[in-house]
Amino acid sequence: MAKATVLFRILGNIESYICRTLLSVFVILLFLQIISRELFQHSLSWTEELSTYMFVWFVFFGASYAAKLSAHNRVTFQFKLLPPKVGVVMEAISDLIWVCFNCYFVYLSYDFVFHKMNLFWKSQTLGVPMKYIYLILPIAFSLMTIRILQVNYYKLIKGIDIRDPESLEVEKLMDSDNQNSKSV
Amino acid sequence: MVESSIVLILFGSFIGLLLMGAPITVALGVSALVSFLYLDENPIKFVQIAFTSVGSFPLMALPAFILAGALMEAAGISRRLVHLAESFAGPVTGGISAAAVLACMFFGAISGSGPATTAAVGMLMIPAMIKRGYDKGYASAITASAGSLGIIIPPSIPMVIFGISAIGMVAPPEAIAKFGEFQTVSIPKLFIAGFAPGLIIATTLLIMNYVSCKKRGYHGTSDGWSSDQILKAFKEGFWSILAPLVILGGIYTGFFTPTESAIVAIFYTLFVGVFIHKELKLESIFHSLETTTWLSGRVLLILFTATVFGRLLVENQIPAIVAESMLSITDNLYLIWTMIIAFLLFVGMFMETLAAIMILTPVLLPIAYSLGIDPVHFGIVVVCCLGIGFQTPPLGENLFIASGISGTSIEEISLRALPFAFASIVGVFIIAFFPDLTLFLPRLLGY
Amino acid sequence: KTFKVAVGDAAGGTQHELGKKFNEVLMEKTGGKHDAKLFMNGQLGSEQDTVNDAAIGTLDFSILAINNVTPFSPSVGALTLPYMIQSLDDAITLTQGPVGEQLVENTLRDAGVRIIGWAYSGFRVLTNSKHPVTTPADLKDVVVRVPKNEIMIDTYKAWGINATPMAWSETFTALQQGVVDGQDNPYITVYAMKFDEVQKYVTNLRYLFSIEPLIVSESVFQDQSAEDQAAILEAGKAATAHSAQFLRDQESKIKAELTEKGMVIADPADNEKEWIDLATSKVWPKYVDSIGGKDVLNNVLKSLGRDEI
Ligand code: NA
Ligand code: NA
Repeated sequence: MAKATVLFRILGNIESYICRTLLSVFVILLFLQIISRELFQHSLSWTEELSTYMFVWFVFFGASYAAKLSAHNRVTFQFKLLPPKVGVVMEAISDLIWVCFNCYFVYLSYDFVFHKMNLFWKSQTLGVPMKYIYLILPIAFSLMTIRILQVNYYKLIKGIDIRDPESLEVEKLMDSDNQNSKSV
Repeated sequence: MVESSIVLILFGSFIGLLLMGAPITVALGVSALVSFLYLDENPIKFVQIAFTSVGSFPLMALPAFILAGALMEAAGISRRLVHLAESFAGPVTGGISAAAVLACMFFGAISGSGPATTAAVGMLMIPAMIKRGYDKGYASAITASAGSLGIIIPPSIPMVIFGISAIGMVAPPEAIAKFGEFQTVSIPKLFIAGFAPGLIIATTLLIMNYVSCKKRGYHGTSDGWSSDQILKAFKEGFWSILAPLVILGGIYTGFFTPTESAIVAIFYTLFVGVFIHKELKLESIFHSLETTTWLSGRVLLILFTATVFGRLLVENQIPAIVAESMLSITDNLYLIWTMIIAFLLFVGMFMETLAAIMILTPVLLPIAYSLGIDPVHFGIVVVCCLGIGFQTPPLGENLFIASGISGTSIEEISLRALPFAFASIVGVFIIAFFPDLTLFLPRLLGY
Repeated sequence: KTFKVAVGDAAGGTQHELGKKFNEVLMEKTGGKHDAKLFMNGQLGSEQDTVNDAAIGTLDFSILAINNVTPFSPSVGALTLPYMIQSLDDAITLTQGPVGEQLVENTLRDAGVRIIGWAYSGFRVLTNSKHPVTTPADLKDVVVRVPKNEIMIDTYKAWGINATPMAWSETFTALQQGVVDGQDNPYITVYAMKFDEVQKYVTNLRYLFSIEPLIVSESVFQDQSAEDQAAILEAGKAATAHSAQFLRDQESKIKAELTEKGMVIADPADNEKEWIDLATSKVWPKYVDSIGGKDVLNNVLKSLGRDEI
């Protein structure tokens, strides 16, 4: 049981773990590049490309993580003028549209990576086939779709409202004068 | 006409989806997809745009600055900067609220985000102002308003995004023939150019603050300036004051690119936080990494869909049509500036800043070029206008944060923030009408 | 129909010139039925993206640097080896002769795009702000910016220095601030970018001749009627011829003007022999496999009347 719980916890935040690792690594990589250039007058030709591709992976996994936190900004002031039910229904419908868009995009990117992409195409300095680097798109958008469904399952069926982290931060500010809490 | 029907479909479905409460990125992506299908174009283009819109080296400045800002707060750098500003409050009328504006400037020089500036400064200064008898709403309003200095004074995440959006766009040959060569846009250039406009906006806020405090009878403390206290704040804040120098110094001397300077700032903060202030915990480093993750993911997903959206506009030559119809109304530079500023302020009320920049740059920059407006100058005005949007309802991120801190209603803060919005708008007009105010510093530094 | 043409460079360069002429002749040959709208400066995506887009059929035409075609069709890489092309005549022979036909076929097979024209931008001459450079040894204290291109980086290595790879958008500022001392680019680019304001010495290196093909999406091409296909091909040919003439006219004019503005132009010592020997002996072996083997290389050399390896 305990093992399963740990596994679920890891899976539940898998994007966060991946992203934090990617972010730390490319930040360190860029720092090493600066050190090597400024102190040893030596430019590492591969760092820029490697860190850029790590960054792309970081972004799309991060987008999926943001979906899990329900953090993608929406315009919601108009719902204040309407009965609360309307807002809930409209957001659910728009999430359904989002899911459809993502599924279509997953299909497009899968098709692109496996059928349309040129076989010779390799990254310039690393020599890795671009195919593998582009794989992030079908993977991350599939994951994101699962997250959107997950959030809506919690919200509509379980009745647990997943609020975006910014409004949570603001609420926390109202509750306490904890000076170390962060908000960006 | 194809153009007008595509404009209708693109913008119609975009606004429709926004009003339905779809995330901005979804509204952009779906409306672009619908237009692609309407034009009978193959949407497989989306895939490559998804990858290349994000996969650019200069864009890495964005997560780097977010991370640097988050770490600086956890390392106690922000707090010391605010304390330093607070120590200048002194006996003058409205001294402590002026100190809040000053704190936003200090903090703006290390952070690239408006809401982050409001939060960091507000958490210390709003309670301090209330303690000195300020009205809660007023204290919140001035902090929310000055928070936008966080994106005007460099470093600035919106400027990074403007730079990225504008770098690929060169002036049309007709404009070059008429006005001569335009300078190229670069992020360092924007950063340098933002400095003086930041001071101008701060000055207008300080003047408005003085006038309001006089009317409200907010006097300073009776015991005058305490040089001991200032000296103490300076001593404690020594390593914090170095932080903006590290960031800006590297960029201004051309030693580092903006991305690199953010990276250096990250390691500087780690060093100061762990070894000097001894406040930085492993847990808060993890938390900073996590915050950076979802913030970057959210913003840059918008970048993808906004790029598709922009590509549609470009391929159908809509920016050119907009520019033409705008110029057919008038070709008076000041009138057009006024129209653009009014439009940006309106957009800033409803729209998230970075998304607005991504969507509007491809439309507005060609107009600027055809009027002979310098692209760097234009970018600064755009950022200033949208910065005011942080303090205007219904979507005003700074308002939400200030309201959270002080426990005052959004409505009350927005009302109290009106005079400051007015002051900032006056500042924006000054910046727009006198381009040299913005451009002299980059010129002086040889950019 | 109005075809969409992606152009990598900004207005005013050789790519623009090729595109304009192409449009002009296309309109003339089709009696105004078809024309070509140029989207300058990468508005339709990076140069490499446009190859994919054209292959899929979502873009009609693209004009781009040859090294951005190489990843999709390796054999065109033969044109990007240092000192493979040593004069404009070499370039014309290679691109318009039998070797060129072979490359066009290979690209069609590998990448699904058809090369129908070529822009000639000239040799990438070396500029720097420090001192005159005529031998590889002169380079040792010069920090040179290069694009993120392995062959170029390796060529500078062969000459004894570590070049600094840097994005184009940062280059002018870096030269101005002294982060780097030199760079290489065709005269037309040096002039258009006003590098004379930040650089003083020019060395007429010939290690890379910039060639920029005009490609058409094969699926778009096949959708056209036989007459329209012929018109497209003819327009491509006419634009190519125009490009060669444009280069001849511009280069001599620009050289004179740059000299007048204070730039010091020099030829490499000993007719460039040391430069050529270092580059060909150290760089060619490394890339010979990636462009399709020794036979491909020898075939190219033979067509130029040079010694095979
Ligand atoms: Na800032
Ligand atoms: Na707003």
